[in-house]
Amino acid sequence: MSGVLPGGSAYRATIEAALAEGWRFAGLHATAAEGAPAVRALLASPDGSLRLEPVDASSGVVPTIVDLAPAAGWDEREAHDLYGVRFDGHEPLRPLVDHGAGLARFTTHVRGADTYQVAVGPIHAGVIESGHFRFHVVGDLILHVDARLFHKHRGLERAAEGLTLPDGLAVVARSCAGCSVTNAVAYAQACEDALGLDPTPEVARARTILLELERVWNTLNDIGAVCAGVGLAAGTNRFAELVDRTRALNARLTGHRFLFDSVKVGGSGLELDGDAVADARGALARIRAESSRAWRELLFNGSLMDRMPDIGVVDAAAVATLGVVGPAARAAGVPEDVRATSPGLAYDGFQPAFLRRPAGDVQARLEQRALELLPCLDILDGLLQRPVRPAATAAGGPRTAIGASRVESPRGATTCVVERDGDRVDRIRLRTGSYANWPAVAHAAATNLLPDFPLINKSFELCYACADR
Amino acid sequence: MLALLRDLRTLRRGIGLPSGRPGSLALRHVDCGSCNGCEHELTLVSGPTVDLARYGLGIVASPRHADVLLVTGPVTTRMRAALLTAYEAMPEPRRVAALGDCAVGIGILGSPSEIVGPVEAVLPVDLRIHGCPPTPEEIAAALLSLLDRRPDA
Repeated sequence: MSGVLPGGSAYRATIEAALAEGWRFAGLHATAAEGAPAVRALLASPDGSLRLEPVDASSGVVPTIVDLAPAAGWDEREAHDLYGVRFDGHEPLRPLVDHGAGLARFTTHVRGADTYQVAVGPIHAGVIESGHFRFHVVGDLILHVDARLFHKHRGLERAAEGLTLPDGLAVVARSCAGCSVTNAVAYAQACEDALGLDPTPEVARARTILLELERVWNTLNDIGAVCAGVGLAAGTNRFAELVDRTRALNARLTGHRFLFDSVKVGGSGLELDGDAVADARGALARIRAESSRAWRELLFNGSLMDRMPDIGVVDAAAVATLGVVGPAARAAGVPEDVRATSPGLAYDGFQPAFLRRPAGDVQARLEQRALELLPCLDILDGLLQRPVRPAATAAGGPRTAIGASRVESPRGATTCVVERDGDRVDRIRLRTGSYANWPAVAHAAATNLLPDFPLINKSFELCYACADR
Repeated sequence: MLALLRDLRTLRRGIGLPSGRPGSLALRHVDCGSCNGCEHELTLVSGPTVDLARYGLGIVASPRHADVLLVTGPVTTRMRAALLTAYEAMPEPRRVAALGDCAVGIGILGSPSEIVGPVEAVLPVDLRIHGCPPTPEEIAAALLSLLDRRPDA
């Protein structure tokens, strides 16, 4: 089998040519498939198509592509730590998932007069997920941040191996409460891609409703998080109450506040009768009115507004280099939103909205979320005009061994690759928007003040759970 | 934020948690590998609707100030040491609450090599709060029940 996989130089040439044609890096993973260990790079084109470029890994060494696509940095480090693949040219190949390696190998070496390290975590002072940050500082000035995550690594992808494709869904959906629907839809679409199934318009509508319901509460949560980042309790509480109400609506519609178990492989089980869709439209209209009012109050709050301009900047050039996705990319003026190219979902004609001042700072990331909330509520109002019935997918393209998909999570593009063996999972790779954006948090923090880090971090509001898996 | 104050009067009326119970508890949360669902709901326990602070319960920044260790998630191998460190830092008497089905040990997902097990595999557990995740009201009601226990019970 291994003979059919391209060798290292062909792989690098293919990736280089594809990037020159406008394809972008969207993920990379290793597999230990018997007789054919491989590394596969996932590329996405601006029109939304995906392609996987494999390379033979039977010798245990493959060439790095991190010089061509710096966004592959974390993926290659993960493939090394979990599958033992070495990436020739990726120096130093620092540990990412592997906590057995000492801190000295993990930490970036920072030298100079008066530099020192501030270690934070894995346990944080508030109700926050676990992760370790190592700040290299001079006084209050941050020179560099090493984020040592994966304290929450549960080996979820491995745990799914050998399960039937429908059973694998539970593992993916439970990887993260904040992105549960996104991850589940990405997995379902990847399975259907491999099984040659196409979503019907009714399946697409049901999934889009669930995705946007997830986006509503996350967006409200993320606006409140920035308020928490500056200690503005009135704003934090106002948006917390709106989050609570959105989750209560989720529970009325699907039986679960985080919409768990509402997505299926090969169809949709969502059932909303006339009363349910009317209830949802009414509740969302009230959330729209009250969130708009709460947002206006924030705009006139000097203690919040004065803290945000020019803090934690990730500009368009950094977005391109680091492969930043989602609201963080759009806040820098980069038109990066998978919803605009999602034929399997009901986003017909969708175009991302942009700020007049896409500065890529904390203020822009906050304003981008507020800007995107209203179109999100519009989409829901349009999709909830009539009842939703259970529906199945239809026979479509050819069946393949590997399927891939990309879905826009509240934090940006989430990709899922499913390799199957018959009707069982051989390998899952879930690369969420949070995973893609963690390196950008470190980039944004450099040259800022240490006391601004919580605010910068909250302006991304990334999950640890689905990044660590 | 006058709108918030006005709305809270009606919001709180509907909660129906017991009131007038004397006492206080300082809570320290440790995430040992959750999906973040328990954290999202625990955050709302301190939010305006439930507002656990009015019953004398609040989240504190250090385990040295805590009466209760609120642990979420199945304990990953990587969080075991940090969890024990936090527990050792607590003054006595102390309580451990397993928050959510993973922490209690129900339906844990993951590779056996990466997971130690439920919280009780690492620490003595005094309170089990079921749910995936439990709602803010369920978390609040369970924590308030601790006020009825004597410190030596």
